[in-house]
Amino acid sequence: MSRWQYFMRRVLMSIPVVIFGTTITFALIRLGPLDPVSAILGTQYNPEAAEQIRTNLGLNQPLWSQYFDFMYRLFTFNLGQSWVIAPGTTAYELIQVYAPRTIWLGFWSVLIALFVGIPLGFYAGLNPNTPSDYFASFGGIVWRAMPNFWLAIMLVTALSQTGQWTNGFFTWQSWIVKTNVVTPPTLGFFVSPLESFMQNPGEWLNELVRATKQIAPAALVLGSASMGNEMRIGRTAVLETINSNYVETARAKGVSGRTLVWKHIFRNALIPLVPIITGEAFLLLGGSVFVETVFAINGLGWLFFNAAINGDLPLIGTLMYIFILILVGTNILQDFLYTIIDPRVGYEG
Amino acid sequence: MSTDQSTKTRADAEPILSVENLRTAFYTDKEVIRAVDGVSFDIYRGETVGIVGESGSGKSVTARSIMRLIDSPGRIENGRIMFDGEDLIEKSPKQMRSIRGGSIAMVFQDPLTSLNPVYTVGNQIKEALRLHRGLSGSKATQEAIELLEAVGIPDANRRLREYPHQFSGGMRQRAVIAMALACDPELLICDEPTTALDVTIQAQILELLEELQEERDLAIMFITHDMGVIAEIADRVNVMYAGEIIENAPVVELFESPKHPYTQGLLNSIPGQGLGEDDRLSTIEGDVPTPNEDPTYCRFAPRCPKAFDQCDVVHPKPMSVGSDDTEHLAACLLYPEDISTDEAVAIHRDGNTQRGDN
Repeated sequence: MSRWQYFMRRVLMSIPVVIFGTTITFALIRLGPLDPVSAILGTQYNPEAAEQIRTNLGLNQPLWSQYFDFMYRLFTFNLGQSWVIAPGTTAYELIQVYAPRTIWLGFWSVLIALFVGIPLGFYAGLNPNTPSDYFASFGGIVWRAMPNFWLAIMLVTALSQTGQWTNGFFTWQSWIVKTNVVTPPTLGFFVSPLESFMQNPGEWLNELVRATKQIAPAALVLGSASMGNEMRIGRTAVLETINSNYVETARAKGVSGRTLVWKHIFRNALIPLVPIITGEAFLLLGGSVFVETVFAINGLGWLFFNAAINGDLPLIGTLMYIFILILVGTNILQDFLYTIIDPRVGYEG
Repeated sequence: MSTDQSTKTRADAEPILSVENLRTAFYTDKEVIRAVDGVSFDIYRGETVGIVGESGSGKSVTARSIMRLIDSPGRIENGRIMFDGEDLIEKSPKQMRSIRGGSIAMVFQDPLTSLNPVYTVGNQIKEALRLHRGLSGSKATQEAIELLEAVGIPDANRRLREYPHQFSGGMRQRAVIAMALACDPELLICDEPTTALDVTIQAQILELLEELQEERDLAIMFITHDMGVIAEIADRVNVMYAGEIIENAPVVELFESPKHPYTQGLLNSIPGQGLGEDDRLSTIEGDVPTPNEDPTYCRFAPRCPKAFDQCDVVHPKPMSVGSDDTEHLAACLLYPEDISTDEAVAIHRDGNTQRGDN
């Protein structure tokens, strides 16, 4: 079986998973204690209006027919409208507004974890039991142990007061570009990046720096746990590989230190890191609700949280569907990466 | 491969490798372990020198010391490793890299794990070719194919593009040997290359090594704990015990008249040597001690059936077993056997080492 056939098979095999996930979502929101009609009417509840809305929304239909309707709409990407948070707005429009902020946040937190955690872990693994290893390992444990919500609040507190603490010598808010500590990032410059860059490159770069600075504290918090994780696993993976027989064979062959690390150790040490890295997609979805709330980023996490507490059923269903798609997608990506990095992973079964 | 032949080569040539008084120690929090303690032996071109001993007797550390592959907390503390007239201990790391895999190559114990699983076999052979002979591209591929054919891997062209996990155990060991031979080494160090293989494959690999030795005039240092394998392949045997070489003899001589009580014990503990149905196989009681101090006594004495009082206070040096026998050395107070034991003890005590072969 070729790599592409294997890939197609994995995609086909993920369809039942998506159906299962969305079914559970439907069961949770329709069979749970939430009454969408009360949520829509709020304090102006009266029986006639409620009956009217119930008929309009098709909530009088038998449950199975509602289920098939729900599934059919999701799978045809007819994602419906919000009922409570922004009545009449389509889920598409809401996602268009909120998703870019979450993607921007996720992008930076994965990047920070990747480019700080893994190199630090590999460095510690290559120099085991030295002071710098102890320092990095200790840092990794502490970093990993700090809960997101706590770290987020501490960081907001600290950054807001940098001005007072340093007597105005360093103020986070006015450092490089003026920003607030707690703010959604301004991502307008991404709408048509090429065009606006051509028109005014200076302004465009300024906007990029601003958006990066706005997201940096939140990304640091969100990436912290995975950064610690990757550091620890990276260190162990390197230590395990460095003591393996094939590394000794390579040394006995006269391979120089640098080639040894980059060719023989690095690729093998990456194998256990792949599921850690892809597993972060899940962490980022869940964790982003907290962090987005603390930093007032108003991204998908914030939207999902509000949809849930307000009983906005179609929005919850749609967002869950998108989360499921992202998770299944990263799982397929993970399997795909495996086949590239590790030739022992078979395409059968 | 006969003893006579090796004796002839020995007489009129310089050894390719001469290890003199090598000591390698490992520093732990508790103690300093002298894994190799004062080992001396020679290897000549075209001959196979076997090193036998129990686990933990220092065989592998000796091999790794020669390759300078000892990492912290281990350290070569003493001695000289003369290879082609140059002391390997004084080489810089860079010089050492060009010797490793170039003039001295090594084959390791476990063929299943000694190839990198994420690169093709061809890639790993060509890596050695590029490092030491500057070959690349189709030239390297051609050379690699020839190497695989030389070690008896059929369909070499296709096999080159396969990954180690697609090879069987015996085939992998052949590939590892091909990799070791890539740069025409003068000395091949084999660290238990057949231990992980079943007996049929073992015999094939030994045969292959013999063929390659004849073709290329290779010197082979062969480490094993299997006396049967030693009898098969070696011209000369060094028996190691607790970091020391306690007996050194041509292979036939060693098997016909072992001198050191430890060697005698080892050979007696091999099943199937004229044992009747009711006879029990003899064993050597006890374990190998950890050599963690300066030897002022015989390290084998606690387990030795022939031990006497002097064994606890005098450290035996390797000496000719008889004054007319310069090829057979043993480190035991009972030898040389043609003088009285008291005289022998006195010679050992004075540290008057009479090495038979130099």
